Amino acid sequence: MPSEGGLLDRFVDWLPTTLFFKRAASWILVPYWAHKTPVKPLPGGPHPSFEHGDNVQCMMNLIMPLKVKSPIGRAEAALAIAQNKDAIYAGLNNVGTVHFARFVIVGDNICMFSVYDGDFTNYIRDFIATIGSVFNAVVALVEDGEDVTPCEKNVDAFIQWIHERDLYQVPDTATDFLRDQEALNGDTAMSGNHDDLTLLPRKLVLQLRANPNVSLGNGYRAYPGFSAAQVRERLELGW
Amino acid sequence: MSAMVKLADLQGNILRGYTKKPHVRYLILEVANPAAARRWLAASTSGRSDGVPQITSGDWGASKPDTCFNIGLTYEGLRTLGTPSASLEMFPNEFIEGMTARALKLGDVGPSAPETWPAPFNEPKRIHLIATIYAEQPEQLNDVQKRALADTSAVTLVGTREGYSFPDDRVHFGYRDNIMQPRFEGVHDADRYADGQPKAPLGTVLLGYRTNLEGLRWRVPEPEELGHNGTFNAFRVLKQDVAGFEAYLDQAADELLKQPQAVGELLPPGAEAKIGKVFSIEGVTPRSALREVVAANLCGRWRDGTPLALSADVPDPELVKAANFDYVGESRCPFGAHIRRSNPRGGKIVQRVANNSRRLVRRGVPYGPAYDRTQPRQLEPERGLLGNFIGANLGAQFEAMSCDWLNLGLQDPRLTGSNDALTGANGTDSSWFDLPLKSGSTIRLRGLPRFVSTQGGAYAFLPSLRAIRYLGSLTT
Ligand code: HEM
Repeated sequence: MPSEGGLLDRFVDWLPTTLFFKRAASWILVPYWAHKTPVKPLPGGPHPSFEHGDNVQCMMNLIMPLKVKSPIGRAEAALAIAQNKDAIYAGLNNVGTVHFARFVIVGDNICMFSVYDGDFTNYIRDFIATIGSVFNAVVALVEDGEDVTPCEKNVDAFIQWIHERDLYQVPDTATDFLRDQEALNGDTAMSGNHDDLTLLPRKLVLQLRANPNVSLGNGYRAYPGFSAAQVRERLELGW
Repeated sequence: MSAMVKLADLQGNILRGYTKKPHVRYLILEVANPAAARRWLAASTSGRSDGVPQITSGDWGASKPDTCFNIGLTYEGLRTLGTPSASLEMFPNEFIEGMTARALKLGDVGPSAPETWPAPFNEPKRIHLIATIYAEQPEQLNDVQKRALADTSAVTLVGTREGYSFPDDRVHFGYRDNIMQPRFEGVHDADRYADGQPKAPLGTVLLGYRTNLEGLRWRVPEPEELGHNGTFNAFRVLKQDVAGFEAYLDQAADELLKQPQAVGELLPPGAEAKIGKVFSIEGVTPRSALREVVAANLCGRWRDGTPLALSADVPDPELVKAANFDYVGESRCPFGAHIRRSNPRGGKIVQRVANNSRRLVRRGVPYGPAYDRTQPRQLEPERGLLGNFIGANLGAQFEAMSCDWLNLGLQDPRLTGSNDALTGANGTDSSWFDLPLKSGSTIRLRGLPRFVSTQGGAYAFLPSLRAIRYLGSLTT
């Protein structure tokens, strides 16, 4: 459908180049486009793949908005992590598939960033089985956390909840981004419109409107393809 | 059999194997009219013997049924029958999405990809109900089918699949199957088959009970009568390339013969003759014996059933159904063997909490004619396994086993990056299998093609009898 709305498309694509229109675009045109073409936030986590190399050293970027948005709320979160640090580290060790994990506060969010091997649901499920009570303590401080705690009794819902707060990993190439978008819309027939890479900025703008926090790509790895246990085995650290 | 659980409320195929009924037919059904289909369900538990076949429960009372009849419902099936949306939402994601949406996790790629599945599996949304008939005689299958399909306003047949158990529980590839099943806490019968493993809590196989993961319970869809005592089944049509498998054994044996030291370790004095005797190999040679050694290592059991963990050098007729062994210490069962990947027992694995948590009840029956190595055909007919992998949580059991253990091999750093040799999504370029030698070193076999490819399947909920009555009584 290149003719229909083609002029408007080109107009919108041209907009970002001028300051006036940048403002106008973000206040008027982007909301208008978003209204016309509702965009669902793309799901978080690594892009599903069957390749072995893609299934080790996966990145989780979990952003959880705190209930109490103030220095007090942030201090509560800091305390919850500090008090449970030993249990969390022991739990991660037991899960066996985690390379790195750390907690960060950004704005009024408590974030957990980790690098893990294998399937995401297996990772979170094993984690619940190991230290579910700690998850409960942390999630109690997070918006809507009460919907899925205690996690031991809401395993599937809890995993889904975590998944929804894991950042979308924007692919490095335009075609992969369009592929994700099509998969989400359940639209596998590649239309001419979807193939047009000049439309990418607008689609990306709309996605970033629906999904303000994202991960850019899925990160750099110094030694790709190795599981945590393989690294430990080779360094003779025991696994 | 006595149990903590009311067996009369369970569908019989969950805890029983129906081993005396070798003929099995699957009726893949679409709901024609929801109200009529609900009446059909109600009739299937009415106790009447003239109409719709009666669901076989886990409690047979005094007399064994002549035939057995069980059903599973897909998410689309539950929805079409008019299950309230609040109940539907309580089912786990993987079940709601259905098997085809989980292809990457299950290794259903390439020749196994759902897009290549034949009818009726090419239209998963039309698969609502999978009914299974088990019978001693093949004619009985037709009788039961006729009764099941008599009311054409209720259900429409969209496809069938049929299997037949071979003698001695053999499956294609020539192995003895049906040896291991989890034993369950509170199910009395289980004591007969002590296997040295902790008994699995009932929550491994039924909704509403404690699971193997400490403190964890799976959500039971409400109302309680719908979810309680139900479970999930991954039904899989698994095509087996038997000619390819036998050819690979030739290839691997030839490779091994080039390494005399390995041959010495793999075939200690007397082994060749013993292997030849057990498998009736006329004029046994090192090559024909090594073929069996390779087959045994890929599975973890010799083709007669003897576990390598108990007898790694030769098969032992005393041990063909042996279940009581473990992988602690220096087991001679390869880490990558099919049975060790799919049940690491007490052996050390990376995911320390997972050792006993992914266990599955397996009900499988071969389909297609047995392969005859002496008379290979130009074009072999399709054959394989109609497999049912039953567990209370598909994600935590069937899928977790498929994606991290059978494929990827995450459970042991010495395996990671390889797929299960028997069932994994292998390609000749990248596949490998480490064959352990007595001395402790290993020989790497390469070039394994894909022996098993998926040709269909569906995730189904196996409702309790109470749930079937509940569904039968729904009004919309
Ligand atoms: C055509 C495909 C398959 C063939 C030919 C096959 C063959 C076998 C054989 C010969 C055994 C040993 C007999 C026994 O322990 O009862 C076995 C065991 C087993 N298989 Fe498979 N299998 C297949 C697919 C699968 C799949 C897809 C899974 C899981 C997703 C699986 C899971 C298991 C488990 C859990 C055991 C029991 C291991 C134990 O407890 O020791 N199998 N299989």
